[in-house]
Amino acid sequence: MTLSNKFSILVNRFLDVPSIDPDDSRRRKILNVILAFVGIAALFLLVISPILSIIRGISFSVDAGIYITAISLLTGTVVLIFINRTLPGWVASTLFLILLMVVFYFSDTPEQLVDGRSLFVFTIPIIMASMLLRSTASFLIAALVSVELYIISAYAQLPPLNFVPVTVFFMIAAVSWLSSRSLEQTLKELREINKNLDGLVEQKTNDLALSLSRELVLAGRNRTILESIADGVVVFDIYGKAIQINAALSTLLGIPYNDLAETTINDLTRSKSLNPKSQGILMGLLASPEKHLSSHRIEWDKKTLSISSAQVFDDLNAAVGTVAVFRDFTREADVEKMKSTFVAMISHELRTPLNGILGYAEMFKEAVYGPVNEKQANMSERIMKNAQRLIGLLNDLLDQAQIEAGKLAVKSEAVHPKELLENLHGTMDKIASDKNLALISTLDPSLPETIKGDNSRLQQILINLVNNAIKFTDNGSIKTNISRPNLKEWSIEVTDTGSGIPENEIQHIFETFRQVDGTITRQHGGFGLGLSIVKQLVELMSGEIKVKSVVGSGSTFTVILPLEISK
Amino acid sequence: MKNFAFVIEDDPDLSDIFSKALQAAGFEVESIMDGEVAQKRLQEVVPKVIVLDIHLPHVDGITLLKQIHAMDSLKDTKIIMATADNVQAEFYRDQVTIAMVKPISFSQLRDISARLI
Repeated sequence: MTLSNKFSILVNRFLDVPSIDPDDSRRRKILNVILAFVGIAALFLLVISPILSIIRGISFSVDAGIYITAISLLTGTVVLIFINRTLPGWVASTLFLILLMVVFYFSDTPEQLVDGRSLFVFTIPIIMASMLLRSTASFLIAALVSVELYIISAYAQLPPLNFVPVTVFFMIAAVSWLSSRSLEQTLKELREINKNLDGLVEQKTNDLALSLSRELVLAGRNRTILESIADGVVVFDIYGKAIQINAALSTLLGIPYNDLAETTINDLTRSKSLNPKSQGILMGLLASPEKHLSSHRIEWDKKTLSISSAQVFDDLNAAVGTVAVFRDFTREADVEKMKSTFVAMISHELRTPLNGILGYAEMFKEAVYGPVNEKQANMSERIMKNAQRLIGLLNDLLDQAQIEAGKLAVKSEAVHPKELLENLHGTMDKIASDKNLALISTLDPSLPETIKGDNSRLQQILINLVNNAIKFTDNGSIKTNISRPNLKEWSIEVTDTGSGIPENEIQHIFETFRQVDGTITRQHGGFGLGLSIVKQLVELMSGEIKVKSVVGSGSTFTVILPLEISK
Repeated sequence: MKNFAFVIEDDPDLSDIFSKALQAAGFEVESIMDGEVAQKRLQEVVPKVIVLDIHLPHVDGITLLKQIHAMDSLKDTKIIMATADNVQAEFYRDQVTIAMVKPISFSQLRDISARLI
């Protein structure tokens, strides 16, 4: 602490008064300041007077009045400072003013006081009164001063009191009253403003505290929810740094919580627990969640995890990060694997007896063991047809199982669109004509003769779509058009004149094991796997399928595929 | 060499159907239902056509296929693979004359084998 600091603390302690009324406190502080100056002045007099006497070579007794004045002032000052600190403010102030008036009386001759050079000193208590007591007190002191002067002049047998200075005293009293009053008024207004301001600040502080605590509660609640989720959750900021994780994620990935809390997208995707394929999938999910709307599976050590990701947006709709949810899919994946193995096994095992049925029916029809009549031939044909249907169902089930297991891959080989249509007619012409339906197909000449694709799967898509159209059409035609809507794509379009699909059912027709209005499954045959497989195959080929339908007049299925020209 | 054919298939009904189809195409057919027996018979006889199933007792069709390819005496023998698995059919397509996925139609097998005579 510096010396000046210590001094200012000392001064403050000296000036400080025990008062809560701001006006009283202000007045008492002013009095303290004045008393301090008066005390210093008295000390100065006491020191300087003997020096002056020595210099002038006169006796100390000549200036006895000065010493008396100085000592009494000093004593009065000390007493008043004490009173100012203990008794109500007005006591010390009043005593001080009286002291001044008394001291002034002794400071000069009565002539000079009443009508001479010292007359002006009496303005000092008048001005001070409005500062130290109240604004109107100056009038009282002016009156007291006038009375004092009157008594002095009367006592000293001087000429009658001059009323001009008395008038001036009252005028000074009026001026100091006004200035003091306006000062007090201003201070009062200022205090009012401050008080309002304080109130405002307090209210704002309270509001802030309330909303902060509310936010804290909300954040705490979110934290609790996050921690109680069985799925692993991680939130990354736009720089790919983890800003929030939960305990489930740590358990799921087998990484300590504290390590995981500081992870980044790069760290996570380069983990040794991932094989290269899973690394690629995870990178895609976390780095560009907007492109991955459905969940994906990865292998993490011996676990299968299903992961979905999404962008995080702020209030202004700006992307501020990525949230990813990790779910343990190991059990489900095992069950799925078992299921698809089971389906594959069953469908293989069923093929052998079906082949037997088909073969013997055909041999019967082909009259291998002698001639058969028309009815017998017809019957064997029906046996064959039903066996074929069963085989179709088996194929669908197998495809579905393979797609679900992620085992189905599409090839990229030379495809001749013309052949696709020829094979379509070879397979479907008879089925269409059996229902008296016309099967018409057109091929866009602008499409190259040879393009790239998976022959058998494209054929399957075409046959499935036409087969579906035939199923739901009782009269009219099925039109198939293969065309090139633009330079980068080619399309397969199948239009029927069938019953159409109600608008609310369109979204469901591609679902597995679903047909429009579950009850008609039996009427039209099949599991309703056909369209679902078509959609999944189309997606495997990076294409899309659209449906337009009007109830009562028919539907159009359009498959759009990326065009790759075979060289 | 006579138009001699082996039908190596363990299911008796399918063996019967395949045999009849090949007979209808003009082959003299010997049907074999066991991989081990097939191994032995292939050392003794050189058939023109073999219809080969994959799932066989004792020695499976894939092993037989490798052995057939290793035997110089069988280098002109045509092999028709009969499998229930289209992925498998795809995989062995290049190693056999024709890969057929079950169910195999009687008339189809008859017509195809007829062309191999």
